Amino acid sequence: MSEFFHQYFDFTIMGDHFSEILEGFLRNLLLFAVAVVLALIFGLFLALLRQLPGKKFMPLRGITIAYIDVFRAIPLLIILFLISGGVPYLNFLPKDIRIPHWFGQPDPFWYAVVALTLVYGAYMAEVYRAGIEAVPGGQVEAARSLGMNHGQTMRHIVVPQAVTKIPAPMLNEMISLLKDTTLASVIAYSESLLLGREVLAETFNSSAVMLSGLMFLVVVLPMARLVDYLIKRNQGKITRGAHMEVA
Amino acid sequence: MAEAMIRLDGVCKRFGKLEVLKGVDIEIGRGEVVCVLGPSGSGKSTLLRCVNLLAPPEEGEIFLEGHDICKGPGSGTGEESWELDFVRQRVGMVFQQFNLFPHKTALENVTLAQEKVLGRSKQEARAKATELLERVGLGDRLDQYPETLSGGQQQRVAIARALAMDPHVMLFDEVTSALDPELVKEVLDTMRELAAEGMTMIVVTHELGFAREVADRVIFMDGGVIVEEGPAGEVLENPKEERTKQFLGLVLDR
Amino acid sequence: MRKTRLAAFFAVLLLVLASAAVAGCGGGSDTTSSGGSGGESGGGEPLTVGSDIPYPPFEQGKAGNYTGFDIELIEAIGEKIGRKPEVQDTSFETIFRDVQQGKFDAAISAATITEEREKAVDFSNPYYLSEQALLVAEGSPFKELKELEGKTVGVQQGTTGQELAKEEIGGAEIRPFPEGPDAVNALKSGTVEAVVIDAPVAENAVEKSGGVEIAEKIPTEEDYGIAVAQGETELLEEINKGLEEVEKDGTYTKIFKKWFRAPPPKAVFSATHEAE
Repeated sequence: MSEFFHQYFDFTIMGDHFSEILEGFLRNLLLFAVAVVLALIFGLFLALLRQLPGKKFMPLRGITIAYIDVFRAIPLLIILFLISGGVPYLNFLPKDIRIPHWFGQPDPFWYAVVALTLVYGAYMAEVYRAGIEAVPGGQVEAARSLGMNHGQTMRHIVVPQAVTKIPAPMLNEMISLLKDTTLASVIAYSESLLLGREVLAETFNSSAVMLSGLMFLVVVLPMARLVDYLIKRNQGKITRGAHMEVA
Repeated sequence: MAEAMIRLDGVCKRFGKLEVLKGVDIEIGRGEVVCVLGPSGSGKSTLLRCVNLLAPPEEGEIFLEGHDICKGPGSGTGEESWELDFVRQRVGMVFQQFNLFPHKTALENVTLAQEKVLGRSKQEARAKATELLERVGLGDRLDQYPETLSGGQQQRVAIARALAMDPHVMLFDEVTSALDPELVKEVLDTMRELAAEGMTMIVVTHELGFAREVADRVIFMDGGVIVEEGPAGEVLENPKEERTKQFLGLVLDR
Repeated sequence: MRKTRLAAFFAVLLLVLASAAVAGCGGGSDTTSSGGSGGESGGGEPLTVGSDIPYPPFEQGKAGNYTGFDIELIEAIGEKIGRKPEVQDTSFETIFRDVQQGKFDAAISAATITEEREKAVDFSNPYYLSEQALLVAEGSPFKELKELEGKTVGVQQGTTGQELAKEEIGGAEIRPFPEGPDAVNALKSGTVEAVVIDAPVAENAVEKSGGVEIAEKIPTEEDYGIAVAQGETELLEEINKGLEEVEKDGTYTKIFKKWFRAPPPKAVFSATHEAE
């Protein structure tokens, strides 16, 4: 038992490598910050595409649905490998785009950003969709009867209400994304897990990896509590029973 | 005879495999108030939704002020701007569930479409909205959100919202059915006034008293067709068809 | 109509479950004895051996069919000492810890004997004399390790190649990959400009995958050893004895020539190592 503690909670090792792991963790946070914004935007874009009405938009809707299905089905790690392994070979693209070193971040960072955006965009699109579909259809009928077209109805009536219904599930996706930034370690991005494993290789001890995990705990736990709080508060809203929730 | 405001010719409407309207012919003149009665499932609401193309019919023609709105440039998909401009700016609708926009104040509910669809300026829209809301008796509630209003008040806001678009025809889909009995009167009063001012109205309702008082004509529908129609007094007091008699009997016996 | 839809659903469900079951039955576990020298090797207990696969030409292949210099060598040794090796794939960065904790009896994975590692495990006599190489893309301008300061260099995590790179070109962006071949792939795709890796592995890459060349060899005088847990003196003696016999009777030379296409250097036969 004490051997177990020594393997995972060697405080000397944790102390020695604390700033190193913290630096790595800040990279996780950076990756999260960039990818989450892009995913939120991309997800909304996908969700709106999916809502385009009428026969003439059917192919577009179909492609969007197919995209969402595919990118929710293929594991993120595989997509990450495909991007980091494949993009550099796309010779018709300039080197600057194939192997990006933008804003001082190395290419694995950007491959990870793309992979996270493509996949989490799909998940977030579904969250948006749930929010959109939760807006009572009667309001859409009313807006259309007043002469508002699809775009106006979405913009003024549906989306403003949809986004108030989705903070809880959306935050869940964001927490997931934050945790998945550790996957970038397999394409040699020096975030906290990779650095922890380096310490592991040097010292034959996993405490640095545990430390990395604890840093995630510190950040994710409050976020998870926030989700719980939001869910409770939203339930209260529904049961207070505004008149418009009839049928 | 003057050009009918609305004319339906052999209108059929299906939802998937279910035939809801099985050939409806009707003419409604300018300024007429027509009440539509019938059991649920008879197709009354669908009829209204055909007229403003929320649910375009599969077969048949609908003429609005002489124009065939089923064969126009947008033709029945309900999505094209031609219909939105022509049909929906002439036809206003009020719903059983009010369908007010909960994230907007009463005033904003009434100004929104005016600004976005008709392009009226903020001041114009506000002025009109204020006037209409005062007319329906809600001048003191302009900045309240729908959740603070009673059902009757919300429905009156909904009426004002539809009127703000200066429609030629108003459609009412069982607008008092979701209201507590005490609140029904205020809405019916508003509708009564509207009728007196000469608005062309199609009213789907269960309120026979209102129908008897205000309607020029009454239509009884059952099973997707018009069973009987005629001047309000006649149909309600001396129905000719068996089904009509049955229905009225049931309603009156409550 | 509803019935056919339901039936279709159950058909799909059945198909999914069936394929899951088949996948479960078919796949072998990783813990299998490798191919190569078949036949029973004595009645002793199996020898669990950890190795980071793939790392050609030392270890490669699929579960149940591992092959490579290290694999064949440990099988030959196993035969001599009467224990059948069961090779299991594992990650290189944890391999010494795993041996230390008893997950494997031994590890053979082109592992250099270093002081650091001796703190956790004991090594056998050296069975291979190695050095590092600087691998670059074909036609690349880089000729020396020093030239890579400030550039991106790929290494495998936890290897002596990584240590060497950190020491000599500390200012470069050193990218640690989980597997050796990953680093080589990154070199080929252009995301790193050079790779520092064991010379024989580099040579194998030049030959087998193409598009890369060795800029220079860095004589680090590294010795590979077989690792066992500290204190396992008996096992260590057995392995050393087995290694000696394999060297004496020509099996070693045979295996060496097969994988490196050249006779083994004489020095390896007399290389010894004192476990500390």
